[in-house]
Order: sequence, then structure tokens, then C-alpha cells
Amino acid sequence: MIELRSTLAGRITLAVLSTLILLFLALPIVVIVVTSFGKDAFGSFPPEAWTLGWYEQLFADGSKWPAALSLSALVAAMTTVFSLILGLTAATALVRSELPLRSAVYGLVLAPLVIPQVVVALGLFLLFEPAAMLGSPVAIALGHTVLASPIAVMILMATLKGIDERLEDAAASMGAGRLTVWRRVTLPLAMPGLVAAGIFSFITSFDEFFISQFLSSVDTVTLPVQVFNVLQYNVDPSVTAVSAILIAVAVVALALVGVVRKLSGSGKQDGLLPTEPGLGLPVGSETAS
Amino acid sequence: MAGSVLAPNPAPAAAPTPAPGKSRLGRALSDRRTRFGLLNATPVVVYLLILFVYPIFSTLMLSLKGEGGGFTFHWYTDAFQGANLEILLTTLRISAETSLLALVIGFVLASAISRLKPLWAGLAMLVVVVPHFISALVRTYGWIILLGDNGVVNNVLTDIHFPGAPFQLLYNEIGVVIGTTAVMLPYTVLLLYAVMKGIDRRLLAAAAGMGAGRITIFRRVYLPLVAPGLVNAGILSFILCLGYYLTPALMGGEKQTMVASLIDEQVMKQNQWNGASALGIILLLLTFAGLLLLKLLQSAGEALRNRGTAS
Repeated sequence: MIELRSTLAGRITLAVLSTLILLFLALPIVVIVVTSFGKDAFGSFPPEAWTLGWYEQLFADGSKWPAALSLSALVAAMTTVFSLILGLTAATALVRSELPLRSAVYGLVLAPLVIPQVVVALGLFLLFEPAAMLGSPVAIALGHTVLASPIAVMILMATLKGIDERLEDAAASMGAGRLTVWRRVTLPLAMPGLVAAGIFSFITSFDEFFISQFLSSVDTVTLPVQVFNVLQYNVDPSVTAVSAILIAVAVVALALVGVVRKLSGSGKQDGLLPTEPGLGLPVGSETAS
Repeated sequence: MAGSVLAPNPAPAAAPTPAPGKSRLGRALSDRRTRFGLLNATPVVVYLLILFVYPIFSTLMLSLKGEGGGFTFHWYTDAFQGANLEILLTTLRISAETSLLALVIGFVLASAISRLKPLWAGLAMLVVVVPHFISALVRTYGWIILLGDNGVVNNVLTDIHFPGAPFQLLYNEIGVVIGTTAVMLPYTVLLLYAVMKGIDRRLLAAAAGMGAGRITIFRRVYLPLVAPGLVNAGILSFILCLGYYLTPALMGGEKQTMVASLIDEQVMKQNQWNGASALGIILLLLTFAGLLLLKLLQSAGEALRNRGTAS
């Protein structure tokens, strides 16, 4: 690659600036993790004394956190199942078959990524309130799936595009039925993509705030809603520990995606990370090339 | 699309116009791959029609319904008056400030990363991507700890005797814009990086070979090549900001109330569904306007480039 001549001063400025920007992105996260182990949860940084007390407090008697945590986990698990089913069928339709009005369907599938979440939440409330489903984990999961499924579709479309169709044709020519081909050839090859799509659906749901806020009831509150309520109204220093746990869940999930990607062979399969959020939209996708 | 919302089967919605296309539809349906496609598209289409399109449609209906039940534009005129109008304008202002700042910072970072060796570029991208998948709520909380009167930032500034420190960085517009920019930044960096990676650096070398100075190369070659990415990233982060809730709600003061907070308050505290729906539809229309602008600018850019290659 031919590099342009650039002055040393220019390069140093750029290096310093971009290091500061990277710090800008990382610092809030580092601060929470460190503070969650500090004795004074709101005060001095770096902490003067260390403790695990905030984590213990989470599971103390009368704490609302375990209930919120298990509700979030349950909702996220359901969201994962829903969006994998929708994602796999939709990706199959969009990549592997003829579909009339293909771009309209694709646009519909990706639309939830740009539509303001508050509008989606408002509409979902109007849908579930008359059905007396507010506070139901199923309702919250159905709502989260609206946001999680576009990501699953994007990942699985990339996965299916990466699978050589001739392998399926070969299996079919050996006499395998369509279902057998799908089960024995397509599905195993798509497994890394399915795992990645599942993990991203899980995180999307686990972190989702607005839809949960509108669809939860007084007794059923997801973890992010509980965190928000504490930050807005109460004072509960154990919220740093909860936040650190939320960070850990996301980091572990991303690491898992990384491992799956490694195992599935040198990143040959694209699209395990939806690294270009919103880019796949019908409005601005092909600008990069 | 609204008409098909209640239809149990999305097939009519997914099919071309029935009258002249009857035979075409018939032919399409006789094709196995088409039938397979329709079958597989059905779950997601039905799902989104019921849980996405229909809810938005009912929001629209509610926003046009008067107190007595008749049709009215009252909620919309209400949204453009007094305090509500102010909140709408605040939303536009904060979104503009945020997306501009995210665009500038994102440009610097993305162009730095696009020149790094693969290993370092990968590590830097990790620092961009990982926060993106960590709850925005949690990251906002991190900023609250950082920017408080006794937070890290103010402590450091006081320690180095920075003039004017400590600063009021929370519960005002500075705080909101810092927090929101941090949330939008990964988007702009990823979008710009993708564009910058696609630029043929030999073009820059060629310009240098022809005797252009660095500033000329940047202005006449690099910037025009990155421009589509800038438009894309700028408009997209603006749109995402419009409906954003968490950071302004937690880091802003009264003067930084944004539309999403207003909607939340109208629903949760005042039980004012019609007004909230109208505000939601206004947000939606602003989003559509942004997307339309993006589309127009893209096709204009496309036309410009085509003319450039034709001549």
C-alpha cells in the first residue's frame, strides 16, 4: 500500500486525538466496573477501599434485583427463540428463494431499526393493554422481538449467502429430500450464524429499556427498567454492581460470538457481527462501494 | 399497507396488483421457489404486521381522535404550541448538536483507524464495537459518575488547576450532548470506517504525484470520496437521536427535555394518550423526512458521479 507522506506532527496529533476518543468510549464502562468494587459507591475515584458489599446487597432480603434479573433472563430467552424462528425463515425467503416484492419485505423487516423506539413502545402498549397482557413476560418478549429480529435477519442473511448452494444441490442430487438437505447440510453450516444471531437477540432484549418500560407492570419489572428507576428516583448504591453485571453479560456474549467465529473457520463466514448497524437499510446500503 | 393490516394472510399484501397481474400471480405461484419464498416470508411479515405496523397504525388513529370520539387535528396543533413546541425544538437542536459532534469525532477516529495496521485497527475497532453492545443505560450511568461535581473529570481538572474548574457538567446541555454523543459515536465510526476502507488510496497517491498539496488532496479527493458516508452517518445519527430517551432523561435538566421524555410523561403521569400519540407520529414523520432526505442526497450524489464518469 502506498502511504501518503504526512508530517510527524500531523501523525502524532491524530494518534493523540484518536486515543482520547477511544478513552471517551471506554471510560464510562471502566469507571462503573471499578466503582462497583469500591467502598464508596458514589464517591471518590479511584476508590480508597475495596469491597464486594454491593454485590452481596443485590441478593439480600427484600431486594428487588433477583426478580428483575430472572425476568430479564426469561424475556431474553423467549426473545431469542422468537427472533431465531423469524430470522431463519425470513433470511431463507430473502436469500434462498424467489420472493415477490422482495425489497418491500426487506424494508419492512429492517424498519424497526430506525423507527423511534418510543413510537413502537407506544403502539405495543395500545395493542397489549386491551388484551390485559401488560406485565406478561410473553408480551415483553414479543415486543423485544420487533427490535431483535431485524438483527437476526441481517446476520442470518449473511450466513446463508456465505453457504455454498452447490453443497445443498449435491446432497439433493444424492437423493436427499428437501427436509434432509436442510437438516443435515444447511442447518449445520448455518450453526455459527444461528449462535451469533441468538446471542445478539439475547443482548438486545436483555438491555432493552423503552418497550419494557411501557409493557411492564408494577410487579414485573425488567433489569434495565429497575436500574433506570433507581437512577431516577431512589438511591441504591448496589446499582453499580447491577450495571457491572450488565456489562459482564454483554462482554461474555461478545466473546462467545468471537469464539464461534474462530471455530467456524478463519472468519470466512461474514456477518456474524452486525457491525454496521442500520447500514443494511434499503436507504443507504450501497454507498460504501 | 394499512388496509392489509387486519388481513389474516399476508399473501394478498405481498402479491402484485391483482387485476392485470392475475395471470402473472398465478404463474408466480406455480413456481416452486416462489411458493417456498412466500411460505418462509409469511412468519416475519405476519409478525411485523401485527406487532409493528398495526400498533403504529393504531397510534396514528388515536392521535386523530378527539375527546368526544370524533376526528380532530387538535393534538397536532397542541404539539406545536407553547412548552410542547419548545421541547420539539430542543429535540431538534440537541439531535443536531449530537450528530454533528459524533460526525466530527467519528471522522477523526475512523480515518485514524483506517490507516492503522490490521492488528491495531482490530483492537481499536474492538473498543468501538464493544461499548456499542453494552446497555446505553449503563454507559449513561458511567457518565453520571464521571461528570458529577466530584466526579473523575472535575477532580482531574481541579488537580491540574484548570481555570474555572470544577464545571457544572451534569443536568445541563453539555452533559446531555456528551452522553448522547458517546451513544451515537459507534454508529458514525462504523459507517465512516466502512467508506474509508473502501477508498482506493492510490487515488490519493496519484493526486500527490500530480503535485497536489496535502490540503488540496484532502479537500478535492479524500473529502468527496468520504462525503456519501458523512451524509449517511450524519442523517442516521440525527434520526436515532430524535427518539432517544435514556441519556437526556438522566443527564439533562428541565431545559433538555426531549420529545421521548415528553411522551413518556404524558402517558405515565398524565394518562394523556392522544397527545402522546400525536407526538409519536410527529417523531415518525421527522424520521421519514430524514430518510427521504438521505435517499434524495444519495441519488443526487449518484447522478453526479455518473455524469462525472460519462464525460
